[in-house]
Amino acid sequence: MTYEILEHAADIGFRAHAPSLPELFACAAQALVEIAMETADIEPRSSYPLEAQGESLESVLVNWLSEVLYLLDGRRLAMRSFRVRELTPARISGEAIGEPRDPSRQPAKLVVKGVTYYQLKIAQDQQGWFCEVFLDV
Amino acid sequence: MELEAIDRFRYCIPQDAARGMRTEVLVFASPALVEQIRKDKSLDQAVNVAMLPGIVGPSLAMPDIHQGYGFPIGGVAATDWNTGVVSPGGVGFDINCGVRLMRVSLGADEARARMRELLNQVFRDVPCGTGGEGPIDLKLEELEEVLVRGAQWAVAQGFGEAADVEFAEERGALPDADPAKVSARAKERGRRQLGTIGSGNHFLEIQYVEQIHDAEAARAMGIERDQVMVLVHCGSRGLGHQVCTDFLAQMGEAMKKYEITLPDRQLACVPIQSEEGQAYLAAMRAAANFAWANRQAILHFLREAFRRIFGPQLRIDLVYDVCHNIAKREHHRRNGDPADVLVHRKGATRAFPPGHPELPEAYRPIGQPVLIPGSMGTASWVLVGAEGSMRESFGSVCHGAGRLMSRTAAKKGRQAHEVKKQLEEQGILVRSETKDGILEEIPEAYKNVDEVIEVVHSAGLARKVARLRPMGVIKG
Repeated sequence: MTYEILEHAADIGFRAHAPSLPELFACAAQALVEIAMETADIEPRSSYPLEAQGESLESVLVNWLSEVLYLLDGRRLAMRSFRVRELTPARISGEAIGEPRDPSRQPAKLVVKGVTYYQLKIAQDQQGWFCEVFLDV
Repeated sequence: MELEAIDRFRYCIPQDAARGMRTEVLVFASPALVEQIRKDKSLDQAVNVAMLPGIVGPSLAMPDIHQGYGFPIGGVAATDWNTGVVSPGGVGFDINCGVRLMRVSLGADEARARMRELLNQVFRDVPCGTGGEGPIDLKLEELEEVLVRGAQWAVAQGFGEAADVEFAEERGALPDADPAKVSARAKERGRRQLGTIGSGNHFLEIQYVEQIHDAEAARAMGIERDQVMVLVHCGSRGLGHQVCTDFLAQMGEAMKKYEITLPDRQLACVPIQSEEGQAYLAAMRAAANFAWANRQAILHFLREAFRRIFGPQLRIDLVYDVCHNIAKREHHRRNGDPADVLVHRKGATRAFPPGHPELPEAYRPIGQPVLIPGSMGTASWVLVGAEGSMRESFGSVCHGAGRLMSRTAAKKGRQAHEVKKQLEEQGILVRSETKDGILEEIPEAYKNVDEVIEVVHSAGLARKVARLRPMGVIKG
């Protein structure tokens, strides 16, 4: 699972790659967190359930990442990894592993405001799956 | 994209340029700015906006237009209040992101002599809050009051002076905000973030007045040459971001219900008069009020910080507060007929002309102050709205210099300490909470703000009043 940053005039995007769709969604969540904050010092102390719905795979991805953003900014959690248990074009469930956020150990990099549908893409290639997501920052 | 020149400052994309356009696109720009605008996808986005059901007049692009998501940033679209749509993407995630300008009873030299000490004090007292928390911990009942009363709540709690609200757009609170339409999650995100700046392009700048272009307007605003000013740029923080997220999530189903199809899901919209449209507007107004309370609390912390350095007699007064991400019901005229419209301003500032009844009495003879931040190394501008804005742009102008370079490109090959040093050599001290905050916002990442201002001034949308230069910058 890897990701790279995509250029955008004002905001920021990423392209994530993974062998399977559940791993792709976990990788996208990881990319979002790593854009928002330093993640080198996060202890895997607790597991936090994550769930989202949608009317297509694309909207499930946006809503899943919006859930991650809520845990980060609303619940103030620092997350170091993600597991996806179930994924369909209507629903996703999984968990984030991490701990309550301590800004002195996990300083912010960029405040991510939202996950957009702009040029959103989920597709298959020779290596597996990839997605492209743009964030409002 | 085919762009036809109308005159030196106006370009048009005709209605037949793309299938589905319901109106033309009118671009305010100079030939040099047009070349820069063509480099990203902002004109395609302005064309997509022209497809919104019920759009009245052209899809408008300001000279600072650049690529956003859905709407371009620097875009304005008015939709018919009875038959048109509201698009949360036409407001954006940062509902009521805006700018607040204060004048300080201090000369530039006095401030410059103690700038490092002052900047450090302000950095301590006015939090960026990028870790998700600020100094104010609101109980749910208090937060709900903030959502209804905006800046007026903040002043009533002691975060400011009574006169502050007189000089904010809408007196710092939009009516008809409904906290019940704001989700528990949005409230959770906002509860600890009041009084914080955020990150990205948000900032607090200590500036001085470098040039006065309109003495009468400057006098009405209490602005003198070499006077210290403070400009704050921020919005509704996590609360507003979550409101946008919540409603975008519902829009897919709602668009099917109302049989609306658009080329970009981020443009998602529903009829203004639908249940979903009214719910969004009630929640958006609540988030807008949170943003005004946020900027008001920041003004309070700023006063405390300055007075710690310069003594309790120091005056800091609000010149004006404008929002540049909002949708508001306004009454305009199109071709001589009254137009009852919802004006979406996505990275665009209201610019009402002299005599407009919604202006504070002190500004009615000169027009509404329009505050245009540049980049941290160049300049910011104070303008006033002019008559042309009501004829051509639904009382709107640009909101900034407009981004030219991506964040990744801005960081490439540069070190934060070098950028800081270069700015220091120009007399500008910078402090940032995040490592990349300085690099991503380098002056070269932005268009030339003077050229953007020249367009709106020459096109008759607004008039130049003063040019402000930064001395101390705080970035999130």
